[in-house]
Amino acid sequence: MIAARNLTLSLGRAPARVDILRGIDLSVRPGESVALLGPSGSGKSSLMAVLAGLERPTGGSVRVTDLDFATLDENGLAVARRGRIGIVLQAFHLLPTMSALENVAVPLELAGETDAFTRAEAELTAVGLGHRLRHYPAQLSGGEQQRVAIARALAPRPALLFADEPTGNLDATTGTAIMDLLFARHADTGATLFVITHDARLAERCARVVELRDGLILSDRRRA
Amino acid sequence: MRLAWRLALRDLRAGGRGLWLLALCLFLGTAALAGIGSLSSSILGALASQSHVMLGGDLEMRVSQRLATVEETAAFAGAGRLSETVRMRAMAQPVGTGAPVLVTLKAVDSAWPLVGSFDLARGASAPRPHGLQAAIAPALADRMGLHIGNTLRIGSARLTVIGLIGNEPDKLGEGFNLGPTVLIDSAGLEATGLVQPGSLYEARYRLLLPPGADPGTVGATLLRRFPSAGWSVHTPDGAAGTLRQGIAQLGQFLLLVGLAALAIAGVGVGSGVSAYLTGKTRIIATLKVLGARSGTIATIFLVQLGLVAGGGIVAGLALGAGVPWLVVAAVGDLLPVPLQLGVYPEPLLVAAGLGLLVALLFALPALARARSIPAATLLRDTLAPQTRPSPAVLAGIASLLAALVALAVLTASDRLIALYFTGATAVLLVLLWLVGLALRATLRRLPTPKRPLFRLALANLHRPGAATDRLVVALGLGFSLFVALAIIDTSLSAEMHGAAPAKAPRFFAIDLQPEDEASFRAAVTRAAPGATIEAVPSLRGAIVALKGRRVADMKSLPPEAWILKGDRTITWSATLPPRNDVTAGRWWPAHYHGPPLVSLEDKAAQGLGLRVGDMITVSVLGVEVPARIAALRKVDWGGLGLNFALVFSPGYIEEAPHGLLASVYAPPGRDGAIARAVADALPSVSMIRTGDLIADIASVLGQVGIAIRAAAGVTIAAGIVVLIGAVTASGQARRADIAILKLLGASRAQLLLGQAIEYALLATLLAGVALLVGGLGGWTVVTRLFALPWAPDGEVVAATLLVSIAGTLGIGLLASLPALATRPARMLRDG
Repeated sequence: MIAARNLTLSLGRAPARVDILRGIDLSVRPGESVALLGPSGSGKSSLMAVLAGLERPTGGSVRVTDLDFATLDENGLAVARRGRIGIVLQAFHLLPTMSALENVAVPLELAGETDAFTRAEAELTAVGLGHRLRHYPAQLSGGEQQRVAIARALAPRPALLFADEPTGNLDATTGTAIMDLLFARHADTGATLFVITHDARLAERCARVVELRDGLILSDRRRA
Repeated sequence: MRLAWRLALRDLRAGGRGLWLLALCLFLGTAALAGIGSLSSSILGALASQSHVMLGGDLEMRVSQRLATVEETAAFAGAGRLSETVRMRAMAQPVGTGAPVLVTLKAVDSAWPLVGSFDLARGASAPRPHGLQAAIAPALADRMGLHIGNTLRIGSARLTVIGLIGNEPDKLGEGFNLGPTVLIDSAGLEATGLVQPGSLYEARYRLLLPPGADPGTVGATLLRRFPSAGWSVHTPDGAAGTLRQGIAQLGQFLLLVGLAALAIAGVGVGSGVSAYLTGKTRIIATLKVLGARSGTIATIFLVQLGLVAGGGIVAGLALGAGVPWLVVAAVGDLLPVPLQLGVYPEPLLVAAGLGLLVALLFALPALARARSIPAATLLRDTLAPQTRPSPAVLAGIASLLAALVALAVLTASDRLIALYFTGATAVLLVLLWLVGLALRATLRRLPTPKRPLFRLALANLHRPGAATDRLVVALGLGFSLFVALAIIDTSLSAEMHGAAPAKAPRFFAIDLQPEDEASFRAAVTRAAPGATIEAVPSLRGAIVALKGRRVADMKSLPPEAWILKGDRTITWSATLPPRNDVTAGRWWPAHYHGPPLVSLEDKAAQGLGLRVGDMITVSVLGVEVPARIAALRKVDWGGLGLNFALVFSPGYIEEAPHGLLASVYAPPGRDGAIARAVADALPSVSMIRTGDLIADIASVLGQVGIAIRAAAGVTIAAGIVVLIGAVTASGQARRADIAILKLLGASRAQLLLGQAIEYALLATLLAGVALLVGGLGGWTVVTRLFALPWAPDGEVVAATLLVSIAGTLGIGLLASLPALATRPARMLRDG
C-alpha cells in the first residue's frame, strides 16, 4: 500500500533551511491501522503530507497504491489523490460556502462520479448526519463538522484514510465519539487508516504504532 | 468545465460578497465610458439627422463680399430650387437712448427656408419680415428692451420688430455668431445700405436638388464651371462641421479621461480580486486536497470573476446608455441641439470591451497566484508563494495590455492623439505607482514615533500588504487632475481678465469704408481722447493654388492646412506690421510696386510646405491673384491686436474693392461712449467689443472645463471606491489591532484619533503628490501648450488640495467605523 525509502523533506533555504524528515523508511500493508505518534515538531504531519501527496519529498522515494508520488507534480498528485486517499484534518477545513451535502459531494464530483449527491447523502447518514444535509459548516457544532469531514474523506471509498489530530479541536467526549466513528468506518470500508496524534492512548487503538522524533522513526511496533 | 461552473456558482452563492469592489469599480468605469460615448453619439446623431436642415438644403455655395453674378445665379437655378441668404455683422441701435448692440444680420429671400420651418414666437404681428420689418432673437429683445412694434435702426434703415424668432432652422449650420440674430428680407437689406464694395458679408446659395442627384457631384460640376469665383461648396455631410468636429474631439478627450478612470478602477479590481482570493486561500487548498487541479481552481474563480465583472459591466452599460436621457432631463435646454435619444451599440460595445479587458488585466496576477496555492497550505498555514509571475502570465498581461491599447486607439476618431494620451496615462500611472512605492519605503525608514497611536498609524501605511502605493495611483491621478485644472483655469482666467485685456484693443471696427476713416477717428477721439487707432485695409480671399497645384484637386488637407479651408481676411502693407517679426526672406521695400508679393505666417507656411520664393494663388472677389512668397513672419497672436496670416505687397491688390479693419485702444470705462459716438457718426460700421469676445471664449472654456471636471470626477469616484475597498480589505487586521488595543485599555476616542492620524497622513501625502504631478502638468499646459505666463491662484489650488485632504480623511474614517465597533471578546473568541 505504502512504501517509503530514505524519505527526506527540507523546507526553506540556507541558512534558514529546516530538515523536517531526515530519512524515513516505512512500509504499510493494505487494511492496516497505523498511528503516527510523536511530540509537536517531530515531523508527523509532514510525513503524512508526503504520504498523502500534499507535499513532494526533497529526497528518497515514496510509492502509494503503486504510484510513485515523488515523480508527480502538483496536478498529478491532485489526480492521484482522487478516490485513493481521504484526509481528515484537525481544523475540519470544510468549504464554508457549501452545505454539508455539497461538501461531501465535491470529491466525488471532482472524480467524475455521476451519483455524487446520492452517495454523499448515504455517507452523511452513515456518520449520523442525515438530518443535517442542507446545513452550512457555520451552522454545525465542532463534532458535527468533523463528522462531515470524515464523511467527505470516506465518500470516494479511498484505499487510504489519513486523520491528522482529528480530535485536537474537540472536547474529550466528542473526541472519543469521533474516534469511535473513524474506527467503525475503517472496519466497515477496509481502508488503510493512518492516525496522526500525540495522544498515546489514542495511538493504542491502532494495530501499529510508529513513533517519530526529530524527523526519524524512533520505534515501529505492532500490537499483538 | 461544467463541474468548475457548478462549484463556482455554489461558492459564489454563499461567499461572493467579497467581490463587490470588483463589481463597483467596473460599474463606475464602464458607466463613465458608455455614458460619454452614448452622449457624444446622440449629439452627433442629432447633428447628422438634421444635416439637411442645418445646411438649409442639399447643397450650399458660399462666397464672401459679393453676390452671385447673373451667370452664376442662372447656373445654380438650373441645378435645383434656389434660395439666397446674406449674412453679416451690423450694429443695431435703439431709436432713442441706449447703447448700440452688435448683431448678426441675416437677409433671406422668399424661398428661404428650403428645408425645415421658420417660426416666430407667439404674439408676432406677421408670419415673416418684409421690407422694413425685422424678426429678432429673444436675446436681443432682452438686451435692448425691445417689444413687438418697436423700431430699431440698422445702417440707414429703421426696422419694425414683428416678432421674436422661435425656430431658425439653419442656425446651427451657420457657425459662430458674434451677436444675436436680426432677420430681414432682401429689400430690408437693401434699405440698410450696408452692402457696399469692400463690406464684409457672406452670401449663401442653397439648392434643393432633384431626387437622385448627388450633392457632391453637382457641387463639383459647378466649381469646375466657375473655377476662379472663390466659391466654397458644402454638402449635408459637412454641415455644422466645426461644431461636429468640436463635439467629436471633446467626446474623444472625455472618453480618454474615462479610460483613465477605468484604469484606476482596474487598480480597485486588482485589489478587490486579490483580497477576495486571499480570503479563499483555505478553500482553494481544501479543494486541492480533495483532488482539484490548478486548472479547475483557475476556472472556478475565472467563472466567478467573469460573472461578477459581467454584472458590473452590464449595470454600467445600462447606466451609460441612459446618460443621454439623464442629460436631457437635467440640462436639456443648454444643449446646442435636441439629442437624438436612442441606444447606441458602438460606444456600449467599446465600453464593454474595455471594461472586460481591464478586469482581466488587473485580475490576472491574483488569479495566477491563487492557481498556485499548494494543498499543503492547510497543514503549514503558509501563504501563497510570492513568486514572480510565470512567462505565461507575463505574456497574458502583455497581450491584454496590447488588446486594451489597440481597442482604445482603433476606436478613437483621432488615433494618434489617442495613442499619445493612452501612452501618457500609462506612464503617469506607473510614475504614480513608483512614487507610492518610494513613499512606503521612506515611511518605513522614518524614526519610530514614541506615541503608540502615531506608531500604529505610520505602520499601517508601510506594513506588508499596506495599500499606500495603490492609493497613490488610485486617488493621486484624480487629485492631480483637479490641481492641474485649478492651475490652468486660474492662469487662463488671469490672462483673460488681466493681462490680455490690458494689452488688447477695446474694440474692433469692421465695415469701415476708406473714405470714412477720418470721421471714424474723429468720433472715437471725441468719445475717448487719447485713444489709439490702428486701421488697415481688409478684404476676403481664398488660397486656390500652391506652387501651381490647385487646392480643389488635393484629395485631403492636413489639419495644419487650416489656412486653405474657406476664405481668410487678408490685407496689404508697405511696412512690416506691428507685433510681427520676419523669420525668413526679406520684407519688400516701402515703395515697392512690382508684381504681387506676399508674406505668410511662418507656422501656416510650414504646415503647407511653403518656402520663400514659392508661388501661391489667391482668389479675391473672383479674380485670381498669383503672388510670390517674399517673407515668412512670426506673429504674436497673444495681444489680440489686428494680425493677418496673409499680407500682400501694395499695388495690384489695392485695386480690389475693400474696406478697413480698425482696432481701438482706449482706457477702460469709455466703451459705451465710443460705441455710441461711432454709431451716431457711421451707422454702417460694426463695433465688436473685445470684452464680449473674451467673455464668449471664457464661456466656451468654462463649459469645456465643466465637462472635463465631470470626467475627472469619475476618476475621483473610482479612487474613492478603491480607498473604501482598501480599508475594507484591511478590516480583519484592523479589527485585530483594535481588539487588542481595547483589551489594553484604549478608549474609542483614542482609536478614532489613531485612524484619523493615519488617513490625515495618507491624505497629506496624496496632496503632496497631486501638487507635484498636477503642478507639473498644469505648468506644461499653461507655459508650453498655451504659451501663457504662469499665474495660478495659490488660494484656489490650496482650496482644491484642502478639499482633497478633507475628502480622503472623511471617507477613510467612515469606512473604518465598522472596525472601530469591534468587541474585543468576540474578536478574540472568533480568532
